[in-house]
Amino acid sequence: MLCLYTVHVPCRVLSWYPVSCRVLSWYPVSCRVLSWYPVWSVPMMMSITHRGTGVGLSGGISAFALLALVLPDSYPYYLDLIHSLSIGPALLGLAKFGIAFPLSYHTLNGIRHLFWDSGKGFTLPEVYRSGYVVIALSILTSIAAIAYM
Amino acid sequence: MAAIVRISSVCHRGGKLLFYRSSLLARPLVTQQKDQDRSYLLTARIHGSSSLRAGSVSKAASLHWTGERVVSVLLLALGPAAYYFPGPAVDYSLAAALTLHGHWGIGQVLTDYVHGEPKIKMANAGLFLLSTVTFAGLCYFNYNDVGICKAVALLWSK
Repeated sequence: MLCLYTVHVPCRVLSWYPVSCRVLSWYPVSCRVLSWYPVWSVPMMMSITHRGTGVGLSGGISAFALLALVLPDSYPYYLDLIHSLSIGPALLGLAKFGIAFPLSYHTLNGIRHLFWDSGKGFTLPEVYRSGYVVIALSILTSIAAIAYM
Repeated sequence: MAAIVRISSVCHRGGKLLFYRSSLLARPLVTQQKDQDRSYLLTARIHGSSSLRAGSVSKAASLHWTGERVVSVLLLALGPAAYYFPGPAVDYSLAAALTLHGHWGIGQVLTDYVHGEPKIKMANAGLFLLSTVTFAGLCYFNYNDVGICKAVALLWSK
């Protein structure tokens, strides 16, 4: 009879947040297997990026709202102020990418999440495939958004 | 030959074997029942009350989950709406949907990383304050300034 053993071991993913990880083995695993670092995977990275972009976007919106309440002049005035700084197209493009990419990534990965919520696409090949599609599309849409105007 | 998946949390639960799926041995069925009872009691303890209240708590959580998805879909629809029909209706809807989506999202982040009853309460209070100020600021911007749709259009034409 073939058995698969699963053992939960504590491991450190980030230095300030210990997490319990699952180790799969065909053999009984002893508790000696501690301090086991998980293998970084694409779904893992995409998940934390989704959270990171979400927090970043939310912070950006809150900052914008706060500035709208605090600053005395109107929005076009400040826009012209930034425009008059003559930043240069490269840096401007980079800044636009910095806004567009988190938005497009979070939106596209959010759609992927909604597909999961409806119960579709849970097999591992599908997870990886949809993940790569999201990454590619978000880069493409960000570049298209920059090139558009 | 049946494959038995044995989930053994040896290190954490002191050597107890939980049988996930078994087709040959009769003994695992007894173990499974005991563990099911234990996990149910654990769930009830986590919800902190009798099974009656646990039902209403999980109902509220389920509604919250559904609400989150509804707002997400709404926000998705507001994207093209903002592009094709800019105006105060979309501006204020965007302000509401963005703030709510962000509020619930950050709420999930806090639930994941903040532990301890007083810290959780403080963090959620701070988040509530932030979301209120954000919504107020966005509405103020919509009312006294160009509005969200126009603002994005102006920003991108720079």
